[in-house]
Amino acid sequence: MTARNAQAWANPPRVPPSHFVSGWVYRDPAIYDAEQAKIFRRVWRFAAHESEMPEAGAYRTFVHACEPMMVVRETGDRFAGFIDRAGPAGARLLPGPAGQCRSTRGLRPCRTAAKWGFVFVTLDPEAPDLDSYLGDALDIFRDVFEGREFSYEVFHFHQAIVEANWKAWQETILDLYHEFMHVVLRRTQMPATAMTARSLRQHRNGHVSIGGLRALYGNYQAYRVRSEGEALPGLTPDDARFTPLFPDTTIIARGTVLRVDTVTPLGPHRTLVESRGLGIKGESPADRRMRIRHHNDYWGPLGRNVPEDAYAAEACERAFGRGAALFQTIARDEDGRGQDDCGLRAFYAEWSRRLGRPACAPTNADAISRGEQEGKP
Amino acid sequence: MTEQNVRELVYRSCLALDREDFDGFLALCDPALHYVVTAYSPEIRKEMTWMEQDLAGMKALLAMVPQHLRRTGSLHRHVSVYQVEAPASDGTIGALSSFLVTHTALDGGSRLFAVGHYHDRIAATGGRHLLKTRRAHLETRDLGIGLHIPI
Ligand SMILES: [Fe+2]
Repeated sequence: MTARNAQAWANPPRVPPSHFVSGWVYRDPAIYDAEQAKIFRRVWRFAAHESEMPEAGAYRTFVHACEPMMVVRETGDRFAGFIDRAGPAGARLLPGPAGQCRSTRGLRPCRTAAKWGFVFVTLDPEAPDLDSYLGDALDIFRDVFEGREFSYEVFHFHQAIVEANWKAWQETILDLYHEFMHVVLRRTQMPATAMTARSLRQHRNGHVSIGGLRALYGNYQAYRVRSEGEALPGLTPDDARFTPLFPDTTIIARGTVLRVDTVTPLGPHRTLVESRGLGIKGESPADRRMRIRHHNDYWGPLGRNVPEDAYAAEACERAFGRGAALFQTIARDEDGRGQDDCGLRAFYAEWSRRLGRPACAPTNADAISRGEQEGKP
Repeated sequence: MTEQNVRELVYRSCLALDREDFDGFLALCDPALHYVVTAYSPEIRKEMTWMEQDLAGMKALLAMVPQHLRRTGSLHRHVSVYQVEAPASDGTIGALSSFLVTHTALDGGSRLFAVGHYHDRIAATGGRHLLKTRRAHLETRDLGIGLHIPI
């Protein structure tokens, strides 16, 4: 191996343009603004699960594309989303994250649609309808949600501010190679199946679905083996599959329990992560307790895995946030199996398409040397 | 002296966790330990359990801590025991405490990490006081990147 000089360290990696990302995507305020306008104001975003609004008039608030938003159950299965600001001062009306909404008069409505109890909104009047937007990205969850006589219910919610760019969080989900970072996955997931048993599929609109993962829960000494009777319908207890929907929502199943994550950018270096755990509505207290335990084992704020993901996102921020790291390589090609980076490439291809600039060179500065990059692109 | 012993046990359990002296902490726990961390979510309007462990589970969990990638720096639990109840018919004593946990980063900056209450039951058998049940109820629900050790 030859020694690298300063110029060599600043050169883009010698891989195809689709296989690396410029560090500017994590830190340029102009890119952040463009993402809000060209991505977040255009996509469908998961707002809340139907069980969070159990009766007519019940609402949930959230932030989307810098707007204070709310979604309310109008009647039966009809939901409506609004921008929660009214009057000449544009003040927010709703005091808390959830409750009963007396009136939505004067609030600006937005398009709202639901799939399998997941309520989505979009601020774009021209966006395709939700089913077209999702396409076949959620097909790996069809058996879990379709034709069921019961409904699902959110039993866990927590949110956290992570000091990192929002894409760093999405990367912890899309990057399968990072499983080496988790002692739990090294023990439970990596030995469970051959790498070739995994399947990463790229869908239209930047969505990705990942299936064929399994877990030997008994291999981690603080976990219990999950039994057949504990599995959710359509899943085996050792099953793991997930769908990162572009740009900000991920639905994840681990045999006995479901998780839904959303990321909301609050600035180039600050991200709100919201995490929900779901079980079966009306299940026995013993089953609910089991699902809560299985959820917490991996995903709770005191779980074994998610705090490591958040640690990693913040560690990447320290390298990319101020320009110490110049490029992120996403060049692992494994034919849609194993730890292929094709999910990351699908994400950044859609990002590039929507922003109208390639993620590998999103600013003029990418073409010139690092010394010149210290100035504004 | 019982009330003093109860206070001491609560404080010692927190000092052991602060020092990450997990063996020392486990030595203060009753064999029938039940340790839960709870929080209320106004978003979903539900009480939540974020951790639930018995003694064997807690032992296994703490033994694995060094193998995890985790929050650097240190935690400091500042605890005030507000109430110590009279012994119940089974000999256990209830105690209610308030806690403030600060986090000190490796660069030396400290900030408030979490606040909440401990609802403890302490077994007083054979002249020893041991932690039998603890419900650490968090008011704080944003724990940043999270935590690999019990609150
Ligand atoms: Fe992870």
